[in-house]
Amino acid sequence: MSQSLRPYLQCVRSSLTSALCLSNFASQTSERHNVPEIEAQTSPEVLLNPLTVARNENERVFIEPSINSVRISIKIKQADEIEHILVHKFTRFLTQRAEAFFILRRKPVKGYDISFLITNFHTEEMLKHKLVDFIIQFMEEVDKEISEMKLFLNARARFVAESFLTPFD
Amino acid sequence: MSIMQHHSDASLLENWRTINIDALDPESSSNFDTSTLHPAFAPVDENEIRTLGQQVRQLLRSGDAEGALRGALEGAPYGGDEAVKDLHLQTVTEVLQGIKASEMSPMLKRIFTSEGGGEALDVLMKYLYKGMASSTTRSVTSPTKPSMLSPQMTGGFSQMGGRPTPRNENDGAAMSVLLSWHEKVVEVAGLGCVGRCMSDWRKV
Repeated sequence: MSQSLRPYLQCVRSSLTSALCLSNFASQTSERHNVPEIEAQTSPEVLLNPLTVARNENERVFIEPSINSVRISIKIKQADEIEHILVHKFTRFLTQRAEAFFILRRKPVKGYDISFLITNFHTEEMLKHKLVDFIIQFMEEVDKEISEMKLFLNARARFVAESFLTPFD
Repeated sequence: MSIMQHHSDASLLENWRTINIDALDPESSSNFDTSTLHPAFAPVDENEIRTLGQQVRQLLRSGDAEGALRGALEGAPYGGDEAVKDLHLQTVTEVLQGIKASEMSPMLKRIFTSEGGGEALDVLMKYLYKGMASSTTRSVTSPTKPSMLSPQMTGGFSQMGGRPTPRNENDGAAMSVLLSWHEKVVEVAGLGCVGRCMSDWRKV
């Protein structure tokens, strides 16, 4: 792991661990409803101060805590246009299958590539430290995945170009 | 008057279906006045913070880094406006960057065990998060103009937001200082420090 990645992930880990202290909280606007307060934004007193963890301007995590839900948005590293396209495709693939991912938000928060929404029901059902581990592992894997895909794409493009140009040789 | 006509009168932005009626109701919970949850802060003058910044820098230059850090953290301007807060953030970041990595942990331990030290570290934590947030927003607003041009330059991929411009190394270096400070503060003061930073109304 590179030198500056470790403190970044460590910082995200400690911020997430303390943000994921959630309790059940029914909606104050509509009776018998229970909605994630960070999404509804109907009660300003239950929203906490959002935290930003940044490694550089292109890699950052935005954590918006509230009494019963936490929204985590990740901006994935994109060094060039190919990575930009790959990240776009990759996150779209995941968000279209958000149903199966439980904590994945269907739409990223503006300015970020992918968002997660963890509510108190998720923390009741699942282990908190495993949830944190999942987010951290996702952040580690996604960078690897994107650079792997980029290498693969280049190799494939070279092969295609070669076989396409053989008749003109 | 037909519904169609009525609909065309209102522009899409002023569509009455999209109006948040809770915001117009004074009794609604979305209009809860959060200023009643904390005491009012005394307004801070810009000159006051400027002189404090100079004193802190003086201390830092004379070699008393711990005194500089404590002075900067204790004089946090809660009641000031954004310009004053940014000015003080700059002072704090300068102090943080002026302290060697090997001195961080022992200094934080000394501050933590001294009187009012826990409070000082909470404030430091707030500044670390603010530092990371502000430098990203500042740099995000600047490259929007060149990235607007990028779809035309490349021809295709108009659905893409734009090409990320090559970033300067300076920015990443400043961030890694804040990240290593964050790690050390959590080591010394624990996770409660982050929790207090989220729930405190005294914003820096």
